[in-house]
Amino acid sequence: MKRTIPLAIVLTMGITMMVQFFVPHPVSVGYYDLTTRWIRIVGAFALVLGTGSFIMFHSDKVRRRRQGWYYSIISLVALVVTTVIGLGWGIRPGSILQNVIYANFLVPLNASMFAILAFYMASAAYRAFRARTKEAALLLIAAFIVMLGMVPIGASIWGKLPELAEWVLSVPNMAAKRAIIFGVALGGIATSLKVILGIERGWLGGGKQ
Amino acid sequence: MKFFDALQRIDRRIIYIVMGLLVIFPLVKPLGLGVSSGPRARTLFDAVDSIPAGRTLLISVDFDPSSMPELYPMLAALMRHAFARDVKVLLCGLWVTGAGLADKAVTEIPPEYGKKYGDDVVYLGWKAGIDAVILGMGENIKNVFPTDYYGHPLDSLRMMNEVVRLRDIPMAVAISAGTPGYTDWLNFAQSRYGLRLGAGVTAVSAADAYPYLQTGQLTGLLAGMKGGAEYEVLVQKKDYSRAYMPAVAAMDSQSLAHVVIMLLVIVGNIAYFATRKRGA
Amino acid sequence: MIPFLILLLAAGQTAPPETTAAVLAPPAPPVAVRAFDTPNDAGKSITLRWSAADTLARTWLIERTGPEGPKVIATSEPGETNYLDEEVKDRIRYTYRIAAVAGGDTVWSAPAAAVASTPQFFNTSRVNILIAMVIFFALVVYYIESAKKGKNLFVRRIAGLDAVEEAVGRATEMGKPIVYVPGLGSVADIATIASLNILGEVAKKVAQYDSALLVPNRDPIVYTVAREIVKESYTKAGRPDAFRQDSVFFVTSEQFAYAAAVDGLMVREKPATNFFLGMFWAESLVLAETGATTGAIQIAGTDSVFQLPFFITACDYTLIGEELYAASAYLSREPLLLGSLKGQDYGKMVILLTLVVGSALLLLSKVPALSFFSNILGFFSTR
Repeated sequence: MKRTIPLAIVLTMGITMMVQFFVPHPVSVGYYDLTTRWIRIVGAFALVLGTGSFIMFHSDKVRRRRQGWYYSIISLVALVVTTVIGLGWGIRPGSILQNVIYANFLVPLNASMFAILAFYMASAAYRAFRARTKEAALLLIAAFIVMLGMVPIGASIWGKLPELAEWVLSVPNMAAKRAIIFGVALGGIATSLKVILGIERGWLGGGKQ
Repeated sequence: MKFFDALQRIDRRIIYIVMGLLVIFPLVKPLGLGVSSGPRARTLFDAVDSIPAGRTLLISVDFDPSSMPELYPMLAALMRHAFARDVKVLLCGLWVTGAGLADKAVTEIPPEYGKKYGDDVVYLGWKAGIDAVILGMGENIKNVFPTDYYGHPLDSLRMMNEVVRLRDIPMAVAISAGTPGYTDWLNFAQSRYGLRLGAGVTAVSAADAYPYLQTGQLTGLLAGMKGGAEYEVLVQKKDYSRAYMPAVAAMDSQSLAHVVIMLLVIVGNIAYFATRKRGA
Repeated sequence: MIPFLILLLAAGQTAPPETTAAVLAPPAPPVAVRAFDTPNDAGKSITLRWSAADTLARTWLIERTGPEGPKVIATSEPGETNYLDEEVKDRIRYTYRIAAVAGGDTVWSAPAAAVASTPQFFNTSRVNILIAMVIFFALVVYYIESAKKGKNLFVRRIAGLDAVEEAVGRATEMGKPIVYVPGLGSVADIATIASLNILGEVAKKVAQYDSALLVPNRDPIVYTVAREIVKESYTKAGRPDAFRQDSVFFVTSEQFAYAAAVDGLMVREKPATNFFLGMFWAESLVLAETGATTGAIQIAGTDSVFQLPFFITACDYTLIGEELYAASAYLSREPLLLGSLKGQDYGKMVILLTLVVGSALLLLSKVPALSFFSNILGFFSTR
């Protein structure tokens, strides 16, 4: 029973959504809207479970004084403070949530995490980009052309470099990407079909019964 | 040979310090490498430049604080360009975490040109349901956004009397850091309502947008920090703005960062071949 | 006289010089005005098409006559020769006429035949997709059936998946945990579904080897599914007692906060193995590079083409695109799943053939005598 019901739901929804794609009638459009609305509602319930997991995980960590437990205190305090401010003073523009938490915490923290990429790219490139084979050497040359061509310094070295970089990006690079995308698209359809037909049951917790 | 061994294993902290210093240095003391604008940025600039005064440019703010350094300069330059030419600006967004960024732009930029909220610029805010939002705006913007981001009813904003639906807008630019983003505007607004669309994207996703330029679905493209810098230069060249150009300033840093990474790769390879020969 | 001159000068500033000609000769009315129900839609829409008889018109006026009488509904630019009226009701007949306007002249066309809008039950412009879908489904189902009959199916080696066993074993030997990141996508992403399928297999091995597993989640729905999968896998491996509730947990839905949390987890726990399988965005390198510095074996896989280079650079093994989807078939060796892989490969062959034929037709259609090929090409485009 625990397996039959989810499989039946997946089969019904999968087939009706497939049919919906080919039917432009308002009834079909209405069904699509209704379904997407339901997905959002179910998602909201899951958020409750997620928050529950968050509280359990961190409070347990603090209680057992596991490694890095003090970070969990920060997480829990952040959850409580954000919730209280959001519920108490609202989330409208000009509110504390927007002016203080969003502008002064979220924006700089997010930007810092993203900025770390510059450093990680340098260390990862240094460690991994070795011309071990002919193919790797070719890739390295292409990478150099693109890296130089994408910044002003490249144009000042050789005027045609930006054009060459664009060519590398939009011709050989694009061709390879498209090949991967074809595979991904077909694989995606096949996976969906397998899930709909109940052949792929890994998401129910592993193979056939 | 110990020297080459050491070169093979430079401590990552040294790499980070060198990188950090070289990124900060040009921000403090610009090198003035100069930015030349490519054809894609120029196409977008020309398209925005040809919007008749008094009409509206729609900008969709589809990015969040993490990609703000890369994409916000585009938003600012586009708004300055529009205001300098007396083109009105309508903003909306598909990313909830980007709402504050559009708000920042709406608060800071219009006063530079003496533009008034409600008459020359309106920010609609964010709504859930990507395709439904865009399709709804195609029918009637008021149905999707009965009020703007600040809670004013749209009827009370003079600008919104002339802009009822997407067909009343001669051009839109979607500044996107990922999905949802310009592809949604292409799929739902461009193909269905014939909305002329330009895009601003992060450098990493730029190559993905090229095919849309080739097919003419996109009118111009700003790719990453460089795209932003190119647009800033174009806006300044026509004397539309004298404001500080953050993307242009950052281009020197980016140039140096690229050079550092390349030097590191070269050093790593020299050391690799030197030690490999010895091994063989 | 002077006010008249000023008016003329002012007019000269905004209007192009042809206006003078337009004042002299009125424009011809638009011809071939046609109104029809917009095809393949949900109704409430009528499409208008017309042709310009000359180049004198400065604007077009569009007039609709319905039960409420005639009404000018829109003006459009001289370059436009079609209009989509989406303010009509279904099953009510409307007539339309179009006027060419130049200077003070407004010249109306003859009204187009009355038309009513209706919703359609089938989108004929998607027939090509339907055909492609049927062919592909048939291939997949055929190979699944032949796999059922016990036909031996060959799958090439995928190094990243062969390494799973070794990676789990390594964790047991070192007494360190395994971190499994099911991506940052939602449960609707195929990559996430594929990742959850692999999680089931990995969790089974973890239970058998008695290692520790940590699964941090970004999406609350993925979290609930992942928890059930891991629990179920422990039960299947005969070790339900070994499952720890807090091994699968929800972190945050904020992208970079999640990346920071997982980075912190990896730095503190120093896992023996990291799995990054599923949908990833800009955080991919932030995760993979931190993982690399802690000395873990890293197995990554994603269908996000942008992030593949980062994973390939910073991880030991990377599953590229569809290899990720193939993983559950590869790991479980279940004939039904293997059969579908074979079907997928033949589907790819069909696409390759279509590309070759399409390109050839496109080239041939440029030859004037063979231009009718361009009609066939239209069949391949989607709307």
